[in-house]
Amino acid sequence: MSLPSTPAWLTGESLEEGLVRHGVSRRDFVEYCGGLCVVLGVGRSQAPKMVRALLAPQRPPVIWLQLQECTGCVESVLRTAEPTIGDLVLDLVSLDYQHTLMAGAGRDVEAAMKASMRANAGKYILLVTGSVPTKEGGIYCTVGGRTAQDILEEAAKDAAAVVAIGACAHFGSVQAARPNPTGAVGVHEIIKDKPVVNIAGCPPIGDVVTATLVHFLTFNRLPDLDPLGRPLFAYGARIHDQCPRRANFDAGQFVEQFDDEAARKGWCLYHVGCKGPATFSPCPIFQWNTRTSWPIGAGHPCLGCTEPNFWDTMTPFYDRLPDVGGFGVEQRVDILGAALAIGATAGVLAHAAATGVHQMRERKRQLPVVDPSSGAPGTPNS
Amino acid sequence: MTPTASRPAPRDRPGFSLAHKIPPPSGDYHWVYLWEWPLRAMHWIAVLCILALVATGLYIGMPYFVTGGDTSQHFLMGWMRFVHFAAAAALVATAIVRFYWLFAGNKFERWPALFPLFPRDWGNMWRQVKFYLMIQPEKAPHYLGHNPLQQLSYTAMYGLGLIMVVTGFAMYGQSNPGGLFYLAFNWVGVAFGGMPVVRFIHHVCTWLFLTFIPIHIYLAVRADHLERTGVISSIISGGRFVPTSQHFIDGDDV
Amino acid sequence: MAVTKVVVDPITRIEGHLRIEVQADQGRITDSWASSTQFRGIELVMEGRDPRDAWAFTQRICGVCTVVHAVASCRAVEDALGITIPPNANLIRNLIHGMQFIQDHVIHFYHLHALDWVDVVSALKADPEGTARIARQVSPWPNNSATYFAEVQARLKKFVSGGQLGIFANGYWGHPAYKLPPEVNLLAVAHYLEALDWQRDVIRLHTIFGGKNPHPNFLVGGMASAINLNDTATINAERLTDIRDLITKAQRFVEQVYWPDLLAIAGFYKEWGAIGGGVPNFLSYGEFPEGDITDLNRLYFPRGIILNRDLSRVQAFDPALVQEYINSSWYEYAAGDTAGLHPWEGETRAKYSGPPTPWEYLQGESKYTWMKAPRYDGHPMQVGPLARMLVGFASGHQEIQGLVKEVLDRLQVGPAVLFSTLGRTAARGIETLMLARRMNTWYGQLVDRIKSGDTQTFNGAKWDPKTWPAGEAKGFGFLDAPRGALGHWVKIRDGKITKYQCVVPSTWNCSPRDPKGQMGPYEAALVDNHPLVRPDQPLEILRTIHSFDPCMACGVH
Ligand code: HEM
Ligand code: HEM
Ligand code: NFV
Ligand code: SF4
Ligand code: SF4
Ligand code: F3S
Ligand SMILES: [Mg+2]
Repeated sequence: MSLPSTPAWLTGESLEEGLVRHGVSRRDFVEYCGGLCVVLGVGRSQAPKMVRALLAPQRPPVIWLQLQECTGCVESVLRTAEPTIGDLVLDLVSLDYQHTLMAGAGRDVEAAMKASMRANAGKYILLVTGSVPTKEGGIYCTVGGRTAQDILEEAAKDAAAVVAIGACAHFGSVQAARPNPTGAVGVHEIIKDKPVVNIAGCPPIGDVVTATLVHFLTFNRLPDLDPLGRPLFAYGARIHDQCPRRANFDAGQFVEQFDDEAARKGWCLYHVGCKGPATFSPCPIFQWNTRTSWPIGAGHPCLGCTEPNFWDTMTPFYDRLPDVGGFGVEQRVDILGAALAIGATAGVLAHAAATGVHQMRERKRQLPVVDPSSGAPGTPNS
Repeated sequence: MTPTASRPAPRDRPGFSLAHKIPPPSGDYHWVYLWEWPLRAMHWIAVLCILALVATGLYIGMPYFVTGGDTSQHFLMGWMRFVHFAAAAALVATAIVRFYWLFAGNKFERWPALFPLFPRDWGNMWRQVKFYLMIQPEKAPHYLGHNPLQQLSYTAMYGLGLIMVVTGFAMYGQSNPGGLFYLAFNWVGVAFGGMPVVRFIHHVCTWLFLTFIPIHIYLAVRADHLERTGVISSIISGGRFVPTSQHFIDGDDV
Repeated sequence: MAVTKVVVDPITRIEGHLRIEVQADQGRITDSWASSTQFRGIELVMEGRDPRDAWAFTQRICGVCTVVHAVASCRAVEDALGITIPPNANLIRNLIHGMQFIQDHVIHFYHLHALDWVDVVSALKADPEGTARIARQVSPWPNNSATYFAEVQARLKKFVSGGQLGIFANGYWGHPAYKLPPEVNLLAVAHYLEALDWQRDVIRLHTIFGGKNPHPNFLVGGMASAINLNDTATINAERLTDIRDLITKAQRFVEQVYWPDLLAIAGFYKEWGAIGGGVPNFLSYGEFPEGDITDLNRLYFPRGIILNRDLSRVQAFDPALVQEYINSSWYEYAAGDTAGLHPWEGETRAKYSGPPTPWEYLQGESKYTWMKAPRYDGHPMQVGPLARMLVGFASGHQEIQGLVKEVLDRLQVGPAVLFSTLGRTAARGIETLMLARRMNTWYGQLVDRIKSGDTQTFNGAKWDPKTWPAGEAKGFGFLDAPRGALGHWVKIRDGKITKYQCVVPSTWNCSPRDPKGQMGPYEAALVDNHPLVRPDQPLEILRTIHSFDPCMACGVH
């Protein structure tokens, strides 16, 4: 079933009315929710509950803060896929504050945000994209003359749930990469008194965001999270363990250079630096942009963009091992390691030779003293 | 002249020997039984495991051999990983027994003999270093079991092994989140700052092993050759000949 | 008369954090300050990195124009290392970048800019029949039926009566500057919704070649998406067909929806052809290499410079004449505050010196933004669609001249209106239309090459750092992004980046005052015959600022 793509902010009607208008039967809708429940890993039996929650007449308020970011995550949510989990959720919420789309500006939108926060205290969902710069009093990101940290702390206070969308809100992403000039940190470093969901990725797939929201709306609690705060339904498995090129990995069939024969057969990208073996992400399953493709599907190794600090720990991107403290580039580790091992062997041989010379000299000098009775000093002992 | 080696009374636990206890060419020597058979067995099992781990690990790290043709006909990386994990399991099993043996083994096998724990060991270490540098070799301390330098390097080896096991299982656990190994070892990634760093450490330590091994073998062979006391064969036969007159720092009650 | 101080912060419907302050007197703006209020330091993060990774880092400068920094970075590194990419890779990059333009411009028009001109509430009063009649006059688009528009209107009514206005809360509905009849407002609202679906679809071209959008993958030396018609995991016949369909879909929407809407709406706002002209100098690096990247004669949009609105003379661009100033920005230079540095010698040393937060006013501060001030030979320059179209027009580009004349004829106005807020918005439409058509040419060329047996997408000869030049390698990558002239400069030594500098379209356009006191294009536009009828409803400011399509994440990075 394909749900109509209607952005929430325009529909005054309830979702049910909207569905009927688009010729979607209630049965289809229940079926749809069932599918969504499976995606969320909560079991089809929860579908009726989801139906009830999603058909509620009042759309739950959502406030979306955009802090220190590139807006890629907003764009990603705007691309949510068909059947449009995204549209479904956007149909459901009242987006009371969102910079990229709001009609008003300046004081007027700040007032709208404050009004919504007051009217919906304890009930609104707070979405955050972007990181919080902490150096120099947070002066590196301000809105309306206030620092990102200030704004975030205020908005989080009365939020029912805090959802950090994207690598920036998760750990600071590219601006937090060495040397992190602005002291950028993720939301969970600032908001410590309530759980923060991390929808990891730079950006994440929009559908993961919307599915997480549906989960919250349906069950009134956040989905189960992994130790890094990422929803398990999406980040529960490594790319490497879900990758269609895994058969090539196991077979020992690797792309050794881009556009080689192996690349033209779609073989495994391990050799050219794929970070799939260290990355938990639903990319191979959910795929990107209406299930069109995904990075490895388009021949480029995974950059590991759902993992914390991937800009430092997963780089150089085209090497298998990270560049830890200046090692790593072009397998420098291996060269160094081999040098060490060979050096040790050479050292050992040299020492053996020196020992031999030393022994010979000693023997000449000490022969009578050591063992005058010995018949054959120096003969092999076995 | 025939050596006057007198075979010492067997130690309380029986062992079996693979080597002939050929006495040294001359002097007054006696045979000391150092390494009981479980320890020797563990040593060689570990050697085999480590060789297998290094060989397969280096392939995993840099798969130079690439298969061609029909994917379903090949399982090269699959086998490499299988052997790696099987050897890893064997190594860990061995390590567990060795751990037990740190407390159950004889004097030379127990934990105090393995680690340079006492101030006198550190003092002797310097003299030992001078020995290897061939400066005043005659002043070298004499040990029946591990001398302090050996102690240090074995400690390092065991430490390295531990790092390999911990980082290895941390990587292993990733394929089954929520599984036993994931639950037991997921902290490793967090502690080291991400799984790529864990992989890096695992990789680098492989080279440290490869650095250590030739030194270790050399020192064993060297000692055997110089002292002609059966050091090398001690890890096979279990014991060595020592000059009867020689005082050993760790040999007071032998 | 007392001047009114006005602060608009945040400027919404743009990328990023922009604060505009103006002084207004009797309905006119008399002075203005543009402040970009986010800094990340990505140029500093680049130091010590593998140059082959640079595209991915710099791509994260912006997720809206999500391909342009990646391509500029690849070009810079390829220039430094002496890499020539295969023709197929160039065509693929053109297709990706072309679709970026088309999608970005359409989103800008409907979702970022339209609400400056379109009164959503007024659409409630429209007669759907009338809307359909107007729409059918200008376009054969299949959705142009009264029933369709009536449906949209019904939803809108429901929405407004429901009380939860979401993103439409506190808009400037009913402001006297809104001029469209209700029927045209309804048309625009309907297409606002359609464009949301359309953009999600056409951008899949990025996903096919680059694996995802935003932030598709690129590769120094070419592209990673291998071509093999006989495999399922590569660019094959099916994928090529998808691409063709997406191009067709993009072209149809641009020709039948965007372009007619633009002209229709512009017809009601002709007075904006005399407002907001601002800086009279224009710079285009040119874009869409159709041959070797170094062959300036084979850029689809030409490179060049226009000074003082003099369309009779296009000057050649000299890369050595670009400098950045920081006398009004929160940085310091070793050579002092008034120095201008060429990007090769560029410094990014943040040093905040403004008032403590929360701010009341930044006007009056000597430094008031994170944006640097780029100047070309000392001149502030406007960049973007208008600069490209003017440089093209003045260079004798036939298609550009044809379309510019068509617009002027349809609106019955003279060429002077080009230098304005309306001119910027119209130029954006013109180039979108051109590119929507040009995509077919590049697609055809790609398919022809594949047919002739050339499937190469990557040149790996200089992939290995051992093959890189000894000592220092320097390179620059220029391109024209949707918002204008973009340059990346990179220095590489021992396999690592030692310096990285970006001078970005929004850096040019949002630049603050330079040591000579010259305003940047946003600022200058706001004081060029610029109305502000109600200081507490800064609608006119939004119009002019949005006509530049600001991107603050780009501009400061
Ligand atoms: C002396 C002991 C060992 C050596 C020398 C060794 C060596 C290696 C090497 C060189 C790699 C490739 C690393 C890379 O570049 O990615 C590797 C991978 C690996 N090793 Fe070990 N290893 C040892 C012990 C272990 C143990 C005890 C385990 C426990 C399970 C283990 C599990 C793994 C795993 C899971 C991988 C990654 C394989 C993959 O993800 O495909 N290793 N090992
Ligand atoms: C992967 C290769 C090897 C490793 C990791 C290794 C490790 C060790 C360790 C940890 C010990 C201390 C045993 C204990 O007390 O727990 C040891 C002892 C010993 N090893 Fe090895 N070994 C290796 C290969 C070899 C080889 C090839 C030889 C023979 C040529 C050898 C000869 C010996 C001898 C003679 C001892 C007893 C030395 C003494 O303490 O006097 N080892 N080895
Ligand atoms: N300014 C700017 Fe960009 C563009 N177009 C980049 O170079 O927007 Ni994000
Ligand atoms: S996480 Fe990545 S895509 Fe999202 S805002 Fe940050 S840099 Fe942009
Ligand atoms: S392409 Fe990457 S994720 Fe896929 S099997 Fe190969 S290494 Fe694993
Ligand atoms: S780079 Fe990111 S988008 Fe997916 S394939 Fe890797 S996690
Ligand atoms: Mg810059």
